[in-house]
Amino acid sequence: MDAAPAVAVALAGATYVYPGSSAGVRDIDLEIASGEMLVCIGPSGCGKTTLLRLIAGFVKPQAGSIRLGGRDVTGADARSRECGIVFQSYALFPHMTVRDNVGYALRVRGVAGGERAKRAGRMLELVGLSAYADRLPAALSGGQQQRVALARALVFEPRALLLDEPLSALDAATRVAMRDEIRRIQRERAIATLLITHDQDEALSLADRIAVMREGRLVQVDTPQAIYDAPASGFIAGFVGRANVLDATVAGADAVDTPVGRLVTRVHGREAGAKVAVLIRPERVEPVGDRETGDNLLAVAIERDRFFGATRALDARIGASRLAIETSSRAPVRRVRIARDAIQFLDPVPPSKEAT
Amino acid sequence: MLLVAPAGALFALFFAVPLAVLAVDALGEGGTAFARVFALPTFWPSLGGSLVLTLVAATLSTAVGLAVAVHLASMSERRRTLLSFVIALPLTFSGLIVAYGFILGWGRAGFFTQIVAALGADAAVIGKALFTPTGLAFASSYYLIPRVVMALLPVLVNFDRAQLVAAESLGATRAQAFRQVLLPQIAAPVAGAACLVAAVVFGAYGTALALVGTQLRILPLQLYSLVSETGSDFPAAAALALLITAACSAMMTAGEWFGSRHERHLAN
Repeated sequence: MDAAPAVAVALAGATYVYPGSSAGVRDIDLEIASGEMLVCIGPSGCGKTTLLRLIAGFVKPQAGSIRLGGRDVTGADARSRECGIVFQSYALFPHMTVRDNVGYALRVRGVAGGERAKRAGRMLELVGLSAYADRLPAALSGGQQQRVALARALVFEPRALLLDEPLSALDAATRVAMRDEIRRIQRERAIATLLITHDQDEALSLADRIAVMREGRLVQVDTPQAIYDAPASGFIAGFVGRANVLDATVAGADAVDTPVGRLVTRVHGREAGAKVAVLIRPERVEPVGDRETGDNLLAVAIERDRFFGATRALDARIGASRLAIETSSRAPVRRVRIARDAIQFLDPVPPSKEAT
Repeated sequence: MLLVAPAGALFALFFAVPLAVLAVDALGEGGTAFARVFALPTFWPSLGGSLVLTLVAATLSTAVGLAVAVHLASMSERRRTLLSFVIALPLTFSGLIVAYGFILGWGRAGFFTQIVAALGADAAVIGKALFTPTGLAFASSYYLIPRVVMALLPVLVNFDRAQLVAAESLGATRAQAFRQVLLPQIAAPVAGAACLVAAVVFGAYGTALALVGTQLRILPLQLYSLVSETGSDFPAAAALALLITAACSAMMTAGEWFGSRHERHLAN
C-alpha cells in the first residue's frame, strides 16, 4: 500500500477579511500534499489572491491556522515562511542581472558568491536560460522573464511554491508552452504548489486538484475531471467549461421536463414533481441526421456559429430556450441528441435514495 | 513659438539681462573684482560656512525627505494627497516666518530649548547652535524637506512595490530590501533631489538673514554685506554674485544629469 503523501500546506478554518470591507476569505480548510499542484480558480474578487497572500504571510489570518511542512506559521512573517512566490508582474529586480535575480534569495541568506553563482546557474539550466545569465530582465521576453521568476522562487528550495496568475501577462501561444514548462519543473522539484488563475483551461490542464472559490469560500476541491464531470453546483458547472444548466422538474422514474423539452434520463430516486437543476455539457449535445431515431432528439435553429478550427461552438434555439453546442462536425446542424448519461443533476441525491 | 514668448521675455528680463549686467560689472576692470573677492578676509570662512551649510542641509533634508516620501508612497492616494498638501505648506512661507518660528522654538529662550534644558542640557549651547551654519542647516531643512518629498514622491509612487514584497518573500529583511532593491533604482532621482536642495540652500539668504543677521559667515550674507554697506565695492559684489550663481548652476546641472540618467534607465 502506498504511503499517504505528506501534507506540505494545511489551512484550517483560515479567515481573513480586509478591514473596512467584506472582501476576503472565510473558513478555508485546504491541504496541499508534497509534490501536488493545486490550482485555485474563481471569478474576480472571489478571494484567490487573498488565499495566496495568507499562505505567503503577506496577511495574517484573523481566525484559523496555517501550517507549512507541519510547522505552525500562522503568526510568522513572509520571510520566515520560506515560500517561493511568482508574482503576476514577475517583480524581477530590473537593476540586477538574471543570475543575480535568481541568486538573490541565496545572497540574503549569506551564501558565498561562488556557491551562489553555481546554484543560480543550476536553476537557470533547469529553466533553460543559462545563456541569458548576464542579461538584465528588460532584455528578455515575457516568457523568459517568467522563467527567471520561477527559477528565483525555487533556488532556495522553498517549502511551497505559490504562483499568482503567472501566465496572465503572456500571449496565448507562449502561455500554452509555459504551462507545460511550469508543470515539468514543478514535477521535477516535487514541490507543493498553489497556482492562482482565472483561466479554466490553465486550471484543467495543470492541476492535480482544482479548488474553486466563490465569494471568499471554497465551494469545491477535487480533481479536474471530477470538477468538470460532476460539478457541485450550477455556478461551478458554468465557471469550469461551458455549460447548459437547465431548471427542470422530475417527470417520473426516468425523465425530466426541461425548457428544451422532456429528456429521458435516470432520476436516481428523485420524487416526481421535484424541482431540480440539470447540467448538459455542450460537447455532449450531439448533432444528428434527419433520419436518426431514439430518445432525447431535439430540433434546433442555429442562431450563432463560431468556428475555432478543431471545433465549432453553436448557440441553438429550441422554442424559447437556448442550448450551447460544441461539435467537430462541419455539417449544418438541424437536430441534436442528448445522451441519457449526458444529463447530470446538480442538486445532491437525497441520502435515502442514493442506492436507488 | 507664440506660446513660449512670455516665458522667454520673463527669462530675459529677470535672468539673462541681470546676469549680463552683473557680468559686465564684474569683468569691467579686467577681472580684478574677482581677485578682490578672493582677497576679502571673510571670503574663505564664508565659503567654508556655505559648504558646511549646504552639505549638512542637503544630506539631512534628503535623508528625511526620502523617508517621508517612501512612507507617503505606501499610503492610499487620498491620504497621500492630504499629507502632501500639509508637507508642501512650508514652501509657501517666507524665510522670515521660518526664522522667527525657529527662534521661538530653538533660540536661547525657545520652547524646545527650555524643555531640553530641563532635561539637563545647556540652554546657552543649544540656543547658540541655531546661529551656526549647522544650526542654519537644521532650520533650512524645514523648507528643503518638502522639496525633496515633492521631487521623489512621483518616482516612488510609480515604483513597482511588488519588488519589495518579492524581496521579503525571498528572505530579505525590510532594510535589505530597501538597500538592495529600492535604493539602487532610485539613487539617481535621490541624488538629483539632493543637488536641487543643495543649490537652493547654497544661494538662499532670507532665513539666514532673518535668523542671524549678517553675523554668520556664508557667501549669500557676504554678498548682502557687500551690497548694503556704504562705500560698497559693486564690481566685487557682482563678481561674488556670479560665483554664487555659477556654483548653484553647477549643482542644478548635476541634478538634471542625474534626473536624465533615471529617465534613460526607465526608457530602457
